[in-house]
Amino acid sequence: MTGRTTIFLLLGLLLAVDAAAQRRISGTVTGDRREPLTGATILVKEIAGLGAVTDTEGRYELRLPDKKEYTLTATYIGYFDAKQTLAADHGGVLDFQLNENPTLLEQVVVTGTRTPKLLKDVPIVTRVIAESDIRRTDATNIGDLLQTELPGIEFSYSMNQQTSLNMAGFGGNSVLFLVDGERLAGETLDNVDYSRLNMDNVQRIEIVKGAASSLYGSNAVGGVVNIISRESQEPWSVNVNGRYGAHNEQRYGGSAGFNRGRFNSMTNVQYTSIDAIDLSKGTDNTQVGDYSNIYGHSTLNVKERLIFTAAEGLRFTARAGYFFRERNSSESLRDRYRSFTGGLKGNYTVTDKDDLELSYSFDQYDKSDYLVAGGRDVRDYSNVQHTLRTLYNHTFASRHILTAGGDYMRDYLMSYQFEGNGSHIQHTADVFAQLDWNPHEKFNLIAGLRLDWFSETKLTHLSPKLGLMYKLGSCSLRGSYAGGFRAPTLKEMYMNFYMGNIFMIYGNPDLRPESSHNFSLSAEYMKGRHNLTVTGFYNIVDGRITTAWNQALGGQVYTNMSRLQVAGVDANASGRYPCGISWRLSYAYTYEHIGKGEPMLSSTRPHTATARIAYDKDWKNYGLSVALSGRYLSKVTTDIYTEITSYEKTEKRTYPGYTIWKLSLSQRVWRGVSVTLAVDNLFNYRPRYYYSNSPTTTGTVCSAGLSLDIEQMFKKK
Amino acid sequence: MSVSHKITSILPGVIAILSLSACNGILEDIYDTPEPEETKIYGFIAVDDNTHTGRIYLDATDYTEWHYIDLHGKSVTTAIVDAETPANWDLAIHRYDAKTNGGAVTESTAAGFGMLPAISSIPEEAFAADEWTTDKITVDMSQMMDGIIRYAEDWYNPCLSGWLHVDTSTMPPVYTLSGRIYLLRLSDGTCAALRLTDFMNDAAVKGFMTIDYLYPVQP
Repeated sequence: MTGRTTIFLLLGLLLAVDAAAQRRISGTVTGDRREPLTGATILVKEIAGLGAVTDTEGRYELRLPDKKEYTLTATYIGYFDAKQTLAADHGGVLDFQLNENPTLLEQVVVTGTRTPKLLKDVPIVTRVIAESDIRRTDATNIGDLLQTELPGIEFSYSMNQQTSLNMAGFGGNSVLFLVDGERLAGETLDNVDYSRLNMDNVQRIEIVKGAASSLYGSNAVGGVVNIISRESQEPWSVNVNGRYGAHNEQRYGGSAGFNRGRFNSMTNVQYTSIDAIDLSKGTDNTQVGDYSNIYGHSTLNVKERLIFTAAEGLRFTARAGYFFRERNSSESLRDRYRSFTGGLKGNYTVTDKDDLELSYSFDQYDKSDYLVAGGRDVRDYSNVQHTLRTLYNHTFASRHILTAGGDYMRDYLMSYQFEGNGSHIQHTADVFAQLDWNPHEKFNLIAGLRLDWFSETKLTHLSPKLGLMYKLGSCSLRGSYAGGFRAPTLKEMYMNFYMGNIFMIYGNPDLRPESSHNFSLSAEYMKGRHNLTVTGFYNIVDGRITTAWNQALGGQVYTNMSRLQVAGVDANASGRYPCGISWRLSYAYTYEHIGKGEPMLSSTRPHTATARIAYDKDWKNYGLSVALSGRYLSKVTTDIYTEITSYEKTEKRTYPGYTIWKLSLSQRVWRGVSVTLAVDNLFNYRPRYYYSNSPTTTGTVCSAGLSLDIEQMFKKK
Repeated sequence: MSVSHKITSILPGVIAILSLSACNGILEDIYDTPEPEETKIYGFIAVDDNTHTGRIYLDATDYTEWHYIDLHGKSVTTAIVDAETPANWDLAIHRYDAKTNGGAVTESTAAGFGMLPAISSIPEEAFAADEWTTDKITVDMSQMMDGIIRYAEDWYNPCLSGWLHVDTSTMPPVYTLSGRIYLLRLSDGTCAALRLTDFMNDAAVKGFMTIDYLYPVQP
């Protein structure tokens, strides 16, 4: 045997010994509901650089060099880390189940800055409602969800049972609703159609309270609510679900998604319906309130989103949607609402420091009357918006981000409220820039400016913003100033409407824009599994647009009102424990101040609160989720005019406060099969008199739902 | 001009029209288009002499007008409230209100004109004559929101006016058609059967009354 042969033999022996000493460890990483977490990281504490990443089914595999004791940690954004010690002689399978972090501080958000940023690093106070929270509330649309999750938000009825929002003193036309950053066309009595915003396929909702016109332009006076859609994570997925509740309330939904190669697609269909609600039922009084019968209605919502990754760093998103709602407002007439939506967006990562987004968006919202007698469907309103948008981000010195962009929108409005059912068109354009400056890991400054232009009013408006954040141990302090504005709409400028054959309402082309200054201070404290956030805000709003009686014209005319000041405090505390128990308590105080001697017409409730305690636990073949949630709204006293043609006399009216609780029980009984039972209005609250801002409940009601995730049934366990 | 040249010259116009159409929305065709009111015919829009039936269509949107219907002469005359009534008329319509020219009305449960009861079988007390009213015929709604409604003093037939129930306790009011056939006994002893089939035009504007009639009803 030569010396060289001996060396090879020895090396071979050493390698064989090494291979025998290695241990193969594999397993899965799942979330609260045992759903697989794709892209979760497994790290070995004792060996730097050794680890693995889970695949699309949440599986990982790694090899340890010897049979010593090791500590493995599983991490995933938005979840608490899970740590397990691997005994010296242990091999084979090691599974991790991660608990979701309720504070979501590791969650990426976009609304406050228009660039993806971790929630803990955003200098603008942003509230996130996560997918798990949406699931827990079992909400059908955005109204149900926001009221359950956030204090200071109230959806009530305005005339003709049209839904109307009040968010910390701001109405529907002062709060901007976005879907993946895109505006919605159409409005009724100053509110978008909230039933378009169903909670099917929503990943999260980001809420920025206060003005945000430096990024979003008109309407972002009181806040921005941005609904972020979920992308398909599974190779394929199919879900069907249904729910049945009181008043013959029905909800059926289905989704189909795939994630293969360069394509990622998600299709959602949802149908809902509910019968009319007789509020006088069980009473001997037919006049139980401002109204005694809530119209029955049905909705159909279809949406598709297809993502195509053309090359590394180049991604196109195409989307299309159809929405239909029918309201049985009388035996002879039904109100119909439709929307047609489409869009194309391209995201291009030019370099690791530069990325560019270009998008086109189309949204059409129609209203029509269906005449039952003749079977005719006559459209009397159509709002069509085409929007072109560009957004560019440049990162410099590895930590500062410069954002610049611009939008163009063509806004077409045909309305029965215009003379001769006519139409008007407005073009709007804007440019904006923002600097996100991070000189130190504990300090962040954000400054932005936007210039908006409107063709019909020849209006140009400048909106500034300045935000600061300072991190001090477990505490984050934030402060900001932001300008907000709302340009007069085509409706407000050109209305010429004989209201119910009773009086005229005239538009006013000379309206000034509403403008606001928003100041906000916030402190956030995070320790272990607890989080406490307190935010104080102060708004000055000038030139609010509303209708007022004009004696000379003998009708109502849109006009700018005097200054309103809104101040308040939001407080939010939450906790979550490994045993599965979690809780959240939120409180909002709102104070409105108007000039001396002027009537306070707003009916914003000063004190509101929401609370939730939940228990979520998953075992291998069974999962349980129980949640008790409640909301409290204090009484409010407001001024109302005694005559519509004279604003001389007012009288006080007090709307009573109330508390409503909901108990829901969700069980995962088998692979992908979930059953949800809920009892709403648990303590049987019933208003003595139904005002437009009273809950339309007739007492305790129950609902039952079933959801099937088909792909889960085919998965190996 | 060559075909290709023609196409080239037309193309920009077509593109412009298409883009304009898309700019202002899509799928317009899924809706029905209402006929313009100015092209519509009012009055006796259908008369069948064989069956003695027909249809009357009225623009009763104006609060200040009565529309006087002459069933004998098949004509409609419009006059301002408080103005002198025409020489010949049998019933009159103001918005959804009705009055008769000395007649009386009863409500029938018959499903159609061919299923009416014999007039002679209806007891006299079932017929309602007109009433003199001071708070029914609204002529000025401009201050309604302040609780001020101006009425004209006039005759009013409560039975016939029941063909449409308007619940004003909510805003907007709730309208419910009775769907019933009303038997109107005229002052000359002849009888008409009337049914209000619609109170809106095809653009859903209220105050356009469509009345089907049978006259004379066989005794």
